[in-house]
Order: sequence, then structure tokens, then C-alpha cells
Amino acid sequence: MADDREIIHRVLHGEIDLFAELITRHQRHVARIVSRHVPYDRAAEVAHDVFVRAYASLSNFSGRVPFEHWLSGIAVRTSYEFWRASRREELPVSALTTEHQQWIEHVLAAESDDRFREQARRREATELLDWGLSHLSAENRLVLTLVHLEGHSVREAAGLLGWSVANVKVRAHRARLMLRKLFRAREAQSHDTTQ
Amino acid sequence: MIRRSDEDTAKLERALAEAHRSRQEPAFGADWVHHVMRDVRREKERAAMPFAGIAFVVWRGAAVAATVALIVAASSLVYTGQGEGELTALLSDDLEAAASLSE
Repeated sequence: MADDREIIHRVLHGEIDLFAELITRHQRHVARIVSRHVPYDRAAEVAHDVFVRAYASLSNFSGRVPFEHWLSGIAVRTSYEFWRASRREELPVSALTTEHQQWIEHVLAAESDDRFREQARRREATELLDWGLSHLSAENRLVLTLVHLEGHSVREAAGLLGWSVANVKVRAHRARLMLRKLFRAREAQSHDTTQ
Repeated sequence: MIRRSDEDTAKLERALAEAHRSRQEPAFGADWVHHVMRDVRREKERAAMPFAGIAFVVWRGAAVAATVALIVAASSLVYTGQGEGELTALLSDDLEAAASLSE
């Protein structure tokens, strides 16, 4: 079967139906990216937009990087647009329960790696994370997710978002401090109510 | 108030990062690919007709310009105190012109 570059060349010369092959090849990669940035139930719709945008700007694909890498940038920027277009709805503290506080205690007490991972995969962990992320702007949310949660370097994140390295560096630092502050305030509140 | 050590904070952050990485990934079916391709074909048709949008903007602009001209003419007649018959005739002419532009 033809490689991505050859398919792109043929799509650009009118064989539009071949674009379905690119979708089939890369949909898992796009699904993986968008599902880490937008709510699970909106991932299909955002991934849909990613491929339509990719087709619309296919003539800009230079071929200097693999198609999948180029597609990653579009997936990240489409996820960012999703949050920019959404009304920011901060999840209230009441969305968190004593189970979340207990989860924090359990994860901090976990001594073995297995126990730690087991705790990290619990539902409470993603709920707590989503609560914290809901308090961040679209920009800070994306940068924090890319740099601190996914482990991309500042330069890589800047490349994916199409922003300057300095902008991403400042936002990554600021967003991390904001999240820490949120969790500290939440813990203090929870501690006060239990006394 | 609980004061967490830096070590605890780092551990909590690692746990949240691990939670993020273990998020469930959706699987898209053949129908989804079909829907995406439908929109891709629409995008191709849209790109092939770049002037369709411009024609719409030109006609919309002409209709707005005619309406503004009508308002200016009517208000200047009222301001200069000319006869009602003349104003009615002018208004009907302008309205006909605006109607023919928007058709």
C-alpha cells in the first residue's frame, strides 16, 4: 500500500476518496490526543474536526515531518479551539467528596509502585484532575496538560501549539502554580469542614 | 490547615499525571469515517467555489447601502421640510430599488 506522502499527493490531485485511507491509518493516534484534552463524550466530534481541518490545509503539508506529527499539531490546536469556544464552567468544590480527599491520603501513603499506579488509575484521580483543570483558562489548560501531564518539553509543546517558547514556558510555570494553589485551598477547606 | 511537603506535592502531581495518561481512549467506527469523508467532500466543493461567498456578500452589501441611502434621503427631506407627496414618491422609488437588488 502507498505511503502517506504518496496518498497525500494523489488526494491533492483529485483522488479525494483516498483521504479515507489516511483517516483509517491515523484515527487512533488522533483519538489518543484529543481524548486527553477534551471530555470523552466530545472526542469523536473534535477528532472529526481535526481531519476536516487537515484536509483543508493538506496543501500546506511540506513533508519535512511525518504526516502523523503534522496531524498532532492540528489535533492539539483543535482541542485548544474547543476549550476557547466552550463557556468556562468551573466545577464547584461540592463536586468533590470525602472520597477524593481519601484518595489523596491513599496515594500519598502508597509505598510500592504498583500500589501507587493502582491508586492513580482510580476514578477519583481523573475527577480531581478535571476539577482542577476546569479552573484554568484554555491556554493554561493546554500548556499544563502538554508539559506537566504528558511530559512534552516546552519546545515540543510550543511547536504543537504554534506559540513561542517563552509564552509556553511562562504559562506552564504559572498554570502549575495555580493548580497547586487550588489543591492546597481545597485541602484546607476540606480539613476545616471535618473539624 | 494541612501543610504538605514538597515531596507530597510532587507525588500528588505524579499521580495526577499517571491518571491523565490512563484516560480511556474512544474507538471510532466505520460510520464515523463515512461522516468525516462527507464533510471532507463538502470542504472540497466549498473550496472549488470561492466566488459563491463573494457574490452573496456583494448583494448583501448593495441591499444595506440602498437601505442606508433611503434612510438618509428620508431624514434629509424631513429635516428640510419638503412636501409629503415628494417624500412618498422618493420612498417608493427607493423601496422598489432595494427590493429589486435583494431579488
